[in-house]
Amino acid sequence: MLSSIFTVGFLVSLLAGTIRLATPILLPALGQIYTQRAGILNLGVEGTMTIGAVAGFSAAYKTGNLWIGLLSGMFFGMLWSLIMAWLSVTMRANQVIAGIALNILGAGTAVYVYRILFGVQSLPPQVTPFAAVNIPVLSSIPVIGQIFFQHNILVYLSYVMVFVTWFILEKTTFGLKIRAVGEHPRAADSKGISVAGVRYAAVLIGGLYAGAAGAFMSIAYMNLFTESIVSGRGFIAVSVVIFARFMPVRAMWGALLFGFASALQMRLQALGIDMANQLMLMLPYIMTIAALIFASKKAEFPSAYTIPYSRLER
Amino acid sequence: MDNLAVSMQGITKIFNGVKANDNVDFNLRKGSIHGLLGENGAGKTTLMNILYGLYQQEAGDIYINGSKEEISSPIKAISLGIGMVHQHFMLARPMTVVENVMLGKKSRRGILLDTKETATELKELADKYKMNIDPYSKIWQLSVGEQQRVEILTAIYQGADILILDEPTAVLTPQEANVLFDMLRHMKADGKSIILITHKLEEIISIVDEVTVLRDGELIGSKLVDEHTTKEELTKMMVGRDVLFNFDKNKKAPGAVKVELKGLSASNDKGLPALTDFNLTVHEGEILGLAGVDGNGQKELCEVLTGLRKADGGQFLFKGKEVINQPPVFYINSGISHIPEDRMTTGLALNWSLKKNLIIKKFHKAPFSKNGLLNQKAIDAYWDKCQKEYQIKANSGEDHARALSGGNQQKVILARELDDHPEMVIANQPTRGLDIGASEYVRQKILDARNDGAAVLLVSADLEEILQLSDRIAVIYDGKIMGILPAGADTNTIGMLMMGHKQEEKA
Amino acid sequence: MNSKIINSIKQFVIAVLTIVLALAVGAILVRISGNDPAEAYTTLFRGALGSKARISEVLVKMIPLTLMALGMSIAYKAQLWNIGANGQLTIGAILAILPGIYLGLPTVILLPLSLILSVLGGALWCGLAAWLKNCFNANEVITTLMLNYIATYFLAFLVYGPMMDPDGGGFPQSKVLPDAYHLPLFSAQMRIHGGIVVAIIVILMMFFFWRTKLGVKIDLIGQGDKIATYAGVNVKKTVMVAMLISGALCGLAGWNEVYGVQYRLLEGLSSGYGDIATIIALLGGLNPLGIVIASFFFSALLVGGATMQRMTEVPYSVVDIIQGLVIVFVIARTAIHFGWPQKLLRKGKKDA
Repeated sequence: MLSSIFTVGFLVSLLAGTIRLATPILLPALGQIYTQRAGILNLGVEGTMTIGAVAGFSAAYKTGNLWIGLLSGMFFGMLWSLIMAWLSVTMRANQVIAGIALNILGAGTAVYVYRILFGVQSLPPQVTPFAAVNIPVLSSIPVIGQIFFQHNILVYLSYVMVFVTWFILEKTTFGLKIRAVGEHPRAADSKGISVAGVRYAAVLIGGLYAGAAGAFMSIAYMNLFTESIVSGRGFIAVSVVIFARFMPVRAMWGALLFGFASALQMRLQALGIDMANQLMLMLPYIMTIAALIFASKKAEFPSAYTIPYSRLER
Repeated sequence: MDNLAVSMQGITKIFNGVKANDNVDFNLRKGSIHGLLGENGAGKTTLMNILYGLYQQEAGDIYINGSKEEISSPIKAISLGIGMVHQHFMLARPMTVVENVMLGKKSRRGILLDTKETATELKELADKYKMNIDPYSKIWQLSVGEQQRVEILTAIYQGADILILDEPTAVLTPQEANVLFDMLRHMKADGKSIILITHKLEEIISIVDEVTVLRDGELIGSKLVDEHTTKEELTKMMVGRDVLFNFDKNKKAPGAVKVELKGLSASNDKGLPALTDFNLTVHEGEILGLAGVDGNGQKELCEVLTGLRKADGGQFLFKGKEVINQPPVFYINSGISHIPEDRMTTGLALNWSLKKNLIIKKFHKAPFSKNGLLNQKAIDAYWDKCQKEYQIKANSGEDHARALSGGNQQKVILARELDDHPEMVIANQPTRGLDIGASEYVRQKILDARNDGAAVLLVSADLEEILQLSDRIAVIYDGKIMGILPAGADTNTIGMLMMGHKQEEKA
Repeated sequence: MNSKIINSIKQFVIAVLTIVLALAVGAILVRISGNDPAEAYTTLFRGALGSKARISEVLVKMIPLTLMALGMSIAYKAQLWNIGANGQLTIGAILAILPGIYLGLPTVILLPLSLILSVLGGALWCGLAAWLKNCFNANEVITTLMLNYIATYFLAFLVYGPMMDPDGGGFPQSKVLPDAYHLPLFSAQMRIHGGIVVAIIVILMMFFFWRTKLGVKIDLIGQGDKIATYAGVNVKKTVMVAMLISGALCGLAGWNEVYGVQYRLLEGLSSGYGDIATIIALLGGLNPLGIVIASFFFSALLVGGATMQRMTEVPYSVVDIIQGLVIVFVIARTAIHFGWPQKLLRKGKKDA
């Protein structure tokens, strides 16, 4: 039995699967880095992703164009997170509660919309997903090519976004504003930065990424929409961000960790190896807690994390 | 009008029906230093926040360099050449100096940060005003004085010709304050106009060219300051009555030693030594004033004495018994009262009713607890008693502590801490942020506690307060006692000790 | 006292208006889905309260929801954002059923024993998060969330693996508890069971809880670590106790589900009660009476919604949306109410 595990084919599919399965965690995590750095904990990512999944799927199905599907997922993800921004920034609500409420509302809304658009069908409608794009030359390298260079375009783009996110946060004025708003909103305010504006932007960007990730699930991974399509990835993304101490490259490693655990479980199951799949699936969550234990001691949370800002309050 | 950098006319600002500023005029001449004087709550900061675009006035006009302006935001203020250094520094601590500066300006490289260019320019500017600042240090690495310099530098870098400083010396030693004043004079000579918000009369007399006094949101008057200006007349304008600067201390001989600290050491939140080989005694019926600039170990000392912080070593003898490193509840039960430095986070549960705040340390004791449940009747009665006795102004005991003014909040704390005739009182900056009336009341209560026989440790950065109340004065610097002086010691001597200079002819 | 009553009435009226508003939005959604809102809501109402049997169903749902929401309210009062109710229910249920299936004890011993085990299980699971917070400063929102997943997968592992009912036709569920262990029913036609007695006892205890020494301490740590420590409260210990009780009540809800409703372990036992309980706790203003009322409303909505889905073409997701809207409206209102109070405005003047 072990011999079937330690084969090149197994390892290739395992690692390629890791990279693919990390994508729908990496994307929302990158988005949440903006949001959390600005001082807002959005637990509503799960619901936002579900909205993105239904929006992406519906648009792709009805227009036959996957790119329109992706854009639709991103747009509606952003629109949905507008509610979170309103509740947490304008209404200054408790962010944990607002996030949970939006998850319930998001799941309900997504399923409702799907039902209205597609009715009740015995066979769920499907789309042809994004096809793998084999990178010329690189993809033909044995092993390496199969692992890294035979993914669909969204997978590549997601990893590119790791660098983009880092660059925006560290090297641009907008990134500086986001960090300042999360660290010392009053200082940012006194320097003429609109705290509410930057926080709205940060939450909306988070929604954009989450919407993209939802669309990835429905049009680049599952090819269809189901109620439980996101199944906890939004929450995982939130914890990956904390695990990564709000840094994009670390978030990538965190996402890969979760990707690896899911891929391993799926590969083993495919081989018919009964190694208590459920216990395997538990692993990443245990590892997140472990990471939190190590990270928390020195985790530098933004000073204004989860604290609403009012110019009048001291 | 031509020579006015700022002219504010008929400014009115209303917060929820209360007039924070009522028809206030304010004129700042170009190239002058202008003091804005008033008690806490007089409306000084509100007026300046309006000038800086943080608040918008309900009525009134603002003219900058002679032309009428709507200052809708700090950005607008900055573009008009107005800079403000706030009392609480507006600096993000994990970020570098240059990053903090870049927050408030347009980048030359569009959406990309122009870190290098900015840092170079900043360094040049700092050198010009003889501020020794490295643009790449993180804010948390800087001392308070340096952080203040960063703030001033930022404002000037942004092109401020009109500089507003909100109580800049509150956190500085007298010597540091002098350095600041030199810097301000230098800037004035450079043609900058400076507004100094303060309630310290010495500052007005020593550096200011003209002063405007506010009281209860109203303009009392403006006047030029010259060598004939006296503290007494300014005080009269500020509070509308003569203030007793001296209490009748009714001195008694101190009693037995109640508290003895020997070789105490403790660390601060960052794990660095805050107290080293700290020795002190406090007698029964004595106020020991501990003078010192903030951040020299006073906070840690108070925390060690109340169990809020673990000491690293040394002895704490209370009535002759070793009591170091006990849990807070032990000290509470031993009759050690604590008026903490920070009313808002430590002294009061802001969202609790006043009644409950009164019994926060004794809710589980009779009569406030009966058969394991809170006894509302006893709690109500206790509130009625304390409200009368301590003259707490509140609509009802059910009001949240948040709703009270600073002075009344402090009275609630006094009632709670002093009502049970404590053995020892630790009062850490008990009048900080209070107006003169409330301060006087607090000081009287502290004297009363002493006369009642308590050993009082009064920690204060306000020398005047120390001098008024103390029977003996100890000076703390860098976690050590620099010297112990008798009541009525000379201010300069204390000031030197506060700066860490031991004198030769020490008593 | 009078102003207190008036205030409560005001609160109640606003809460009702909030719900009416959410139902109105729901009606529009029902209309869009091509159904008649009047008919849908009539069905929903009848499904929830139309007969004794229906009311019994609502009560059956109310038991776990109320217990969990009361548990949540204790943690939330201390500003501990325990969102791990599902996991705590699950672990409580698992521990509770073990002796029932494997030990064959007399009922009088088994029922109390299993109850204690469920309480311990829930407390343990939540206490773990408290321990992680106290020792490693690990954010409890994230840890309780992770512990939810771990508990869910652990339950799945058990019912697919070692505890799977050999005669269950491969369904992911454990063996059924012997009849003798089932909590007594009040009537053969209805599912309302003896667990309600336990729930009522807990509710009654909660009415006094906030006036006890422990209750005040928990309330105080919610006001801030600094003030609590200053007042002589051991914050870490109180955090632990608050979380233990919070989890214990969720575990107890698990006991009710296993011994009163399902009589076995099965996958997805918690059926997402945790999120709703969280919301009930908040909607009920963290006070026991409010929680009972809110819990009744949500239980009725769940039970009636299920009937509505069965009897009409209206999708069940409308019920989810109504729930979500209620809470969004409530947060928005709470924020308007508390977020910009006059005091803050006055404070802007404070340092002036």
